[in-house]
Amino acid sequence: MKTDDIRELERIAARCRQNVLRMVRANGSGHLGPAYSCIDIVTALYFHAMNIDPQNPKKEDRDIFILSAGHKGMAQYAVLAEAGFFDKSLLDTFGHFKSPLPGHPDMHKLPGIEASTGSLGHGMNIACGVALGKRQDGLGSRVFVIVGDGELAEGSNWEAAAIAAHYRLDNLVLFLDHNGLQISGKTKDVMSFEPIAKHFEGFGWAAREIDGNNMAEIVAAIDSVPFEKGKPSLIVANTIKGKGFSRAENQVGYHYWNPSAEEMALAEKELEDLLMGMRT
Amino acid sequence: MNYEMFDAKKIIGEVTAAEADLNPGIVVVSTDSAPRTGMGEFIAKYPDRYYEVGIMEQAGAGVSAGLATTSKTPVFCAPAPFTTARPFEMFKIDIGYMRQNVKVIGRNCGFNYSDLGPTHFGLEDMALVRLIPGVVILAPMDASQLRGAMRAMLRCEGPVYLRIGTAPIPKIFDDGDFEIGKGFVVREGSDVAIITTGEISRNVFEAAEKLAAEGINVMVVAMPTVSPIDEELVIRAARQTGRIITVEEHFVVGGLGSAVCEVCAESSPVPVKRLGVPMEFLSAGQYTDLVKHCKLDADGIAETVKAFINNP
Repeated sequence: MKTDDIRELERIAARCRQNVLRMVRANGSGHLGPAYSCIDIVTALYFHAMNIDPQNPKKEDRDIFILSAGHKGMAQYAVLAEAGFFDKSLLDTFGHFKSPLPGHPDMHKLPGIEASTGSLGHGMNIACGVALGKRQDGLGSRVFVIVGDGELAEGSNWEAAAIAAHYRLDNLVLFLDHNGLQISGKTKDVMSFEPIAKHFEGFGWAAREIDGNNMAEIVAAIDSVPFEKGKPSLIVANTIKGKGFSRAENQVGYHYWNPSAEEMALAEKELEDLLMGMRT
Repeated sequence: MNYEMFDAKKIIGEVTAAEADLNPGIVVVSTDSAPRTGMGEFIAKYPDRYYEVGIMEQAGAGVSAGLATTSKTPVFCAPAPFTTARPFEMFKIDIGYMRQNVKVIGRNCGFNYSDLGPTHFGLEDMALVRLIPGVVILAPMDASQLRGAMRAMLRCEGPVYLRIGTAPIPKIFDDGDFEIGKGFVVREGSDVAIITTGEISRNVFEAAEKLAAEGINVMVVAMPTVSPIDEELVIRAARQTGRIITVEEHFVVGGLGSAVCEVCAESSPVPVKRLGVPMEFLSAGQYTDLVKHCKLDADGIAETVKAFINNP
């Protein structure tokens, strides 16, 4: 399943975006903008980087992915389904009563989900605990986390930033999904934590900045972690909220999307065209 | 009554270190708090299983949950307000909702930090944790129960909250196994039942003796597990005596008293008097003065019993 082929990873990401639309259709709405902004990263993690086995999702030496920004859950469901962790028909239950795919992921409901997130500012501390435990076990496993840039305002993230550096957790990789938008507007206007990389470096992290919707850059960054031995790695991924549906791109109004049938058809058509163009 | 006295912190530390010998998964998470929770022996013996995160309680809860993902049994210990109220949402989600095998100790519960005042009182910890589905709450009553409860907590699977003071605690009961979820009758009686939990219960035992001398027969029920509460035993006490008094070093809202009222209201309605800490921010002061102010000393309990019997 794992591949180094950038074009193939891009095709998978496009299919994952189709999976997201399938879930939005099932539920009538969903966090499209946040899911689309990080889905290239999640695709690269599962299809290129992580030591995981969809047939044995709890294997002891696995790498662990924690989606701290749990409202981006459709991105993870889409990728898990594409990777074969569960049958794709479950995507049609997204958001339904007793579905294993609630709006925010629940680790006890679906294979491949490692933490129940959705309330912001939880994933990083959990990830630090996992990274410490994995290191104690000497298994060489890595922990990948996605935190949103708006989410960074939760003070608990900065507690984790200190812990990861203090314990020199170079098995921990944080993707900061830096799409620049949150519910009330631009993140830099709501509450700025710029310059993000510098703040983390001040704590003792090693940081890099990439285009977080560029598969080649994502893969190159993942392939270079840890950026420095003995330091946790931060990848500031500059992304476009809603990337993959032209109407939604960089539009705060598409944070949570209630599409009309016409708009859904447009979004589907764009992905079909994109995939058609990728065939050669 | 003269009991042999023990250091609660020492017991916590001894049991943790002994259990850690048997279970390599046991780790300790500290928010600048473990050495003062008696963990010195564990830290010296297993420095690589000791995680100090500094004074960051949200992180303490979250890191503990993450360690549990890697099959560890984390023991997160700090003063009661700082393992419950301060990181409540992390306790609720990371430990409770995620059903992680984390053992949380809230020491200096009640008004153990009596001279520091309400910032350091742990009077709502049980109320808060009772709101988190699936978390067991233990409030051992003496040295033997603390030893047993620590062992049972570390050996069971799932999230547990154990509250304890740190003043010297008496050894009242014989050493033995601690069964989570079970209360027991300390003394039979028919006039009224007192259901009690935690270290304050020693005053209940003393009050019951005084009352017996005056011809009042008090049934005394020990409830060292507050959640899930031993419903069968509460119902038995209600049916046997027709009236119940609860005694706890905790706000009268949300703790043992509330739990008993809930059981009685639904299954065996009888008058219930909740004796505990009134809903106010109390003054700092000497521990004994605070206990007396809340009528949680033996005389205050006896007085409350008599008033309740005469005018339920």
